[in-house]
Amino acid sequence: MDKKSFLRDVTGEYMVTLGARDDRVTVVNADLAGTCRNRGFGETYPDRVFNVGIAEQNMVSFAAGLAAEGYIPYTFSMAPFLTMRACEQCRTDVAYGNRSVRLMGVYAGVSGGISGATHWAIEDVGIMTSIPGIDVYELSDANQAKRLLDMSLMHNGPMYIRTSVEPVTDLYPEDIEVSRGGSTLVCEGEDGAFLCSGVIVQYAKKAAEMIKEKNGATIRVIDMYSIKPIDREAIISASGTGRIVVAQDHNIVGGLGSIVATTLATEGIGVRFKIVGIPDEYVAMAHPGYLYNKFGLDAEGLCKTMTEMLN
Amino acid sequence: MINSVKELEKAALDVRINLLKLCNVEAIHIGGDLSITDAMTVLWQYKMNYDPDNIEDENRDRFVLSKGHASAVTSFNQAAIGCFKAEDVINEYAKDGGRFSMHSCNLVNPYVEVSTGSLGHGMPVACGMAAALRMKGNKSSRVYTVMGDGEQSEGSIWEAVANAVHYKLGNLVALVDCNGFEADGSIDDITGLGDIASKYRAFGWNTVEVNGNNVEELKSCFDKLPAPDSDVPTVIICHTIKGKGVNFMENNPRWHAGKISNEQLEDAIRCLNDEYNRKWNS
Repeated sequence: MDKKSFLRDVTGEYMVTLGARDDRVTVVNADLAGTCRNRGFGETYPDRVFNVGIAEQNMVSFAAGLAAEGYIPYTFSMAPFLTMRACEQCRTDVAYGNRSVRLMGVYAGVSGGISGATHWAIEDVGIMTSIPGIDVYELSDANQAKRLLDMSLMHNGPMYIRTSVEPVTDLYPEDIEVSRGGSTLVCEGEDGAFLCSGVIVQYAKKAAEMIKEKNGATIRVIDMYSIKPIDREAIISASGTGRIVVAQDHNIVGGLGSIVATTLATEGIGVRFKIVGIPDEYVAMAHPGYLYNKFGLDAEGLCKTMTEMLN
Repeated sequence: MINSVKELEKAALDVRINLLKLCNVEAIHIGGDLSITDAMTVLWQYKMNYDPDNIEDENRDRFVLSKGHASAVTSFNQAAIGCFKAEDVINEYAKDGGRFSMHSCNLVNPYVEVSTGSLGHGMPVACGMAAALRMKGNKSSRVYTVMGDGEQSEGSIWEAVANAVHYKLGNLVALVDCNGFEADGSIDDITGLGDIASKYRAFGWNTVEVNGNNVEELKSCFDKLPAPDSDVPTVIICHTIKGKGVNFMENNPRWHAGKISNEQLEDAIRCLNDEYNRKWNS
């Protein structure tokens, strides 16, 4: 059995490590410290933690104020509240001011499952990538999450980091390399490529294994964890396989698929291409597993989409 | 720093004249600039610890213009203390590549701590800055923020109002320019806000009400501010007149924003000078 991790546990708990390393690190919550698993930070550094109550707009503006005075605030909330309720605060107070605020959004995609669409974020990548100056990342693995948080201490400017609440398979070693505008080759392949991020990477890896077993075709899997800036070289290289399937727990409009498609078009590259995600509609609450199956985002669905493209 | 009431009133007169000169060149938010001119003048030219030659000074007072459309009155006060020249503001205002415009922007103007314009943002950011000063152990600086009364309709203001009390931010001083009007007209006719002072009191703020167009009252109010290392944030409810000092603009929603003719400019300046001279017999 593959070992699994919960990324909100990893990121929330790792704040204690970051806090020890850099005394500019602060945490601002909006009544979801427990949900976002960062209570440890507040217990360890009571002078550097704030909880503004159920007030996401204030959480982000307040953090912008802390950043204006030289701190590196990490704001935690569910991705929909962070990126939509506080959208203008992210844009005007954080991005326009180029403040080094870390916007940590849990409940990415439909991982909020049975809470329903109010607690899903299937629009956040489209929203946040369209704001100038905000780097956008999506985490897929526990070690990747830690290395990205290490990197967050160095970057000058805002970052949005989305994570799923669904468990993810541990994919990478402790010293996995993470960079701004980078990607990670999960497995090599020449007959097609899955470009994916977050919780879906594990399913794409499994789909590639299923395809190889079934008909011998090798499918490349690339973890596009840096959504903005995007790794253009990895996309161009993947197009050499002739088939690209982009899969993300996000609306098919405005997510990773749109960014990859734009990159290909800009480069003048024609390739067999499909975006898998939430098909631009709201559906009723259900468990994430059911939803990933419904939208073709699980291993079986991705295997089917790529196999059709191979035929 | 200007100490005497007479000189501060002269400084406010100069700011008003500059505003009108600018308003003769470009449409500006003249009504809300004029209503808060006296408070801004006393704040910038008497009260605030701010050295234009050392704008990164850790011990400076911070200023966040939450009612971002009052950028011109801010710029002319900053000009008066030597950040740049008043002529620079008039020449560059709303010019492509210029430093000054409808709302303050710190991408081009380093004397702007926080870029503003969208209402309901500056106050919560100021609240975060005040908390940051506390974390740093800075016991001497204050964070001043100026809001409009119409701006009090923004829910985000009240999130921060509660927060500032909870975090005991006695280093935060908020001014509300209560001129009674917003873009569409009289606030009472739109969605009345009732007694704003009592709302701040109910949230636990040290609440002071002043005639926001009376320099002497404002000066005395700033003199009595609790120490920056005290525990309760202060709000100064400034009862003002929109368009204050210019007869045809006072309490006239037409002059929320606009541009004046050469004749109107001459009239207005004469009127302001007469009033000052009458009071001070000069």
